[in-house]
Amino acid sequence: MSTNIDIETLLAIDVGSVHTRAILFDVVDGQYRLVATGRVPSTSGAPLFDISEGVRNVLDELKRISGRTFIDDTENLIMPVASASAGVDRFMATATAGPKVRTILVGLMPGVSVESVHRLAAMSYLDVVGEISLMDRRRDEEQIDAILTARPDLILIAGGTDGGARDSVLRMVETVSLASRLLPLNQQPKIIYAGNQQIVGAVEDYFGDWANLILSLNVRPSLEMEDIAPARKRVTDGIAELRAGKISGFDELVEWSDGHFMLTADAFGRVIRYLSQVYSPEKGVLGIDLGASQVTVAAAFDGDLDVSILADLGMGTSLDGILERGRIIDIKRWLPIDLSDSYVRDYIHNKTLFPRTVPTILEELHLEHALAREIVRLAVKKARQGWAGSGVARDSVLMPPLEPIIASGGVLTGVPRPEFAALMLLDAIQPTGITTLVLDPNSLTPALGVAAGQMPVVTVQVLETGSYISLGTVVAPIGRSRRGRRILSLRLERVDGGEEVSGEVRKGQLVRIPLSQGEQGRLTIRPERGIDVGFGGPGKAGTIRVSGGAVGLVIDGRGRPLQLSKDPAHRRELNQKWLWDIGAME
Amino acid sequence: MKKSYHIPVTHVVPMTTIRRELLMPVPGTVLVGVNENVKGSQVLAESAPTPHHYFLNVARGLGVPVRRVGQYLVRNAGERVEKGEVIAGPVGFARRTIRAPHDGRIVAITRGRVLFEVRAEPLELQAGFPGRVIATDGVQTITLEATGALVQGIWGNGLQDTGIMRLAGDDSSSRLRAGQLDIKLRGAVVVAGICDHPAPLKQASDISVRGVILGSILSDIIPVAKELPYPLIITEGFGELPMNSAAFQILGSNVGREVSIDATPMEPYKTNRPEVIIPLPSNAPIELPNEVIPIKRGIRVRILRAPHRGKVGKVREMLPRASIYPSGVRAVSAKIELEQGGVISVPVDNLDVIQ
Repeated sequence: MSTNIDIETLLAIDVGSVHTRAILFDVVDGQYRLVATGRVPSTSGAPLFDISEGVRNVLDELKRISGRTFIDDTENLIMPVASASAGVDRFMATATAGPKVRTILVGLMPGVSVESVHRLAAMSYLDVVGEISLMDRRRDEEQIDAILTARPDLILIAGGTDGGARDSVLRMVETVSLASRLLPLNQQPKIIYAGNQQIVGAVEDYFGDWANLILSLNVRPSLEMEDIAPARKRVTDGIAELRAGKISGFDELVEWSDGHFMLTADAFGRVIRYLSQVYSPEKGVLGIDLGASQVTVAAAFDGDLDVSILADLGMGTSLDGILERGRIIDIKRWLPIDLSDSYVRDYIHNKTLFPRTVPTILEELHLEHALAREIVRLAVKKARQGWAGSGVARDSVLMPPLEPIIASGGVLTGVPRPEFAALMLLDAIQPTGITTLVLDPNSLTPALGVAAGQMPVVTVQVLETGSYISLGTVVAPIGRSRRGRRILSLRLERVDGGEEVSGEVRKGQLVRIPLSQGEQGRLTIRPERGIDVGFGGPGKAGTIRVSGGAVGLVIDGRGRPLQLSKDPAHRRELNQKWLWDIGAME
Repeated sequence: MKKSYHIPVTHVVPMTTIRRELLMPVPGTVLVGVNENVKGSQVLAESAPTPHHYFLNVARGLGVPVRRVGQYLVRNAGERVEKGEVIAGPVGFARRTIRAPHDGRIVAITRGRVLFEVRAEPLELQAGFPGRVIATDGVQTITLEATGALVQGIWGNGLQDTGIMRLAGDDSSSRLRAGQLDIKLRGAVVVAGICDHPAPLKQASDISVRGVILGSILSDIIPVAKELPYPLIITEGFGELPMNSAAFQILGSNVGREVSIDATPMEPYKTNRPEVIIPLPSNAPIELPNEVIPIKRGIRVRILRAPHRGKVGKVREMLPRASIYPSGVRAVSAKIELEQGGVISVPVDNLDVIQ
């Protein structure tokens, strides 16, 4: 794609809870390209509680790499470009760093407004510490005391369709208003009202000149309709403001970005939605960002986006959340080696204390990867509840068709070999049919999401330029078959005329066929009767064009859902064998 | 431009100035003034914890319409009332009244109801360690300063106390055994290396120790540790890890002294750390320890991950290129000269500064 580009040099910064990243884009041969990236420890936590230090450190790092100067003598960002080697034309920022926002959800009816506020909370960086609804059996004063004890940063009120319930909503509003006023001034929460719009005046009367009241459109304007987007914007703004109040440096970042500031998950989701509009409408696009303090799962089906943020799961400070949600045995089932429950539990607690640390011995690497599998599995399982447009029942054991699956996060992108990441994603997500696995090693996606708002050409061009690592194409047949029985035969013809590959795959096999990054091939698959690879039904054959990747072409014949052996020793052997089969280990 | 790395800092200092800001959960009354010397057990401030609330339904109680409640109220919002005092009424022939159920305060009057607040017992903020008040906002925060030794831990069970420090075991890897904990250790703060069973912790509770400082405990014991009646601090983490040599040396050389043990756990985005303060007099002013220490040659560090976990050494050099480890992971690294001899490469992310 070629375009007339006025703004040439773009700088994006993402402030995470563990790392602060900077990405520099510039125009090369008329196209936006990734020029340099930098990564340093974040400084949002103790002892500095100021993201500015990390931002300046990462800009120093970027200067060292690119030779470009970003900060002037007065410690300000040089913008616009001052010379060939100084300044940027545009600055964009995203952030996940910051304390969790303690939130109380207030809704009227379970399954209606209560469900909507829960969905809204799951899409934001909110830590739900309480809930009040019409079905709440506590007395009004007990609800007041519960709010006072919880000391929330935010109270999110919904309830009543537009023109619907009035008195019961106002009664809850009254409870919230009384409780909020009883909190000390410096602890009074923000209130977002996103309920019946016909009673907004009465709601305002309850709060009077209360500065912390934020009005939004109804998340549930009618029983059949849910409209979360306006309230989500208010929540996003509220989170940014609350974090700015607790950690220094956010204001500067927002000022530099001149409106191009987003929460990382929102920006991440924007790219996933964009891709779902570009790729086949029959398949969804899945993005997973496995961070230290949360997991973001963004899925879009023909432009219909669902973003879930699981703030109690992550590979660092939130790692011990896995002990609340899962069992040690569920983690150990992914291990190729024998580790005691106590070792696993100790490891989880220690990694929570030292989130930045990396495994230097093989057994810790295996454990870290087992944890990543289980966390992604749990996160996707939870997120699927919101995938209304996937065309597959939410409780189905099979994943809907996805193309591509994009993953980021240190544990996935910092692997010794890309095959480790491919197997982690295959085990944790268990895609079905034909898909492509893609890694975002530089965490570009949030930056491209911000750019997509006003400069979509940046997003389009950078996505096209190979800044992501394609792990390759995966074929994962579904259907019943006995272990060891042939499930498909295939032929891969390389477009460049290289060696043709043909053969068959049996149930239980994981087969990797080398097909390098940039290589193209024509893949013909003939599944056996009852086996579906996504060519329109069981037993249907077809030919597709496939692209190579860091791993190549992978045929995952292990079955869906993946049935792991109940015998621990056999299970470990298989896990080890799959690592060998995919080429992660020799 | 030379790249600088900042890694977490754990203070393990034989003599320093310790300055801590103490914060009450809600505003209240500060009972001490600036420059006042305070004891560790002294209450510095009081505040009312979250009160309980009751709705008194005046309209229903008096049998009058909601709109007429106002004319029968004899007390207003904001007023304090004693138990039994009339809040509303009398009404009618039966002279119905609404009386205060407890001593408390009327905080709001709404829809014919009075929201009544009953205060709980005041919450007291203790100094935790002896020192001098150097600042206060008069309502919620007090900054206290002292000199002494400081040993920071990595996890704590949330409690706080003071006591005379005693060793249980000969070295930093000694296991805490129930048999070691006899009556001679009653009221003491006990130091040992490792605890791999809940029994010694329960035995320590039986003899009323004032605290336990360990290198590590098995994470299986966390639920027990959280329920102990005394503070427990670990310095290294979970597993079977000896206490780091720097911490054990300082604690061992101060046996017999009174120590303050604050087992408040670390939390993201908070400054709290579990720590042991050993108050020691100083004739000369001592600088506060640095909170931000760039990693460079000569800096004392601790290794946080296997296979050299818990070992202490000094940075010999930052390696110009990322190193590859047996796991296959490639990481920016430093050469570390271990205290017990030997030089190894360690990822910078797997270090914390011990100073």
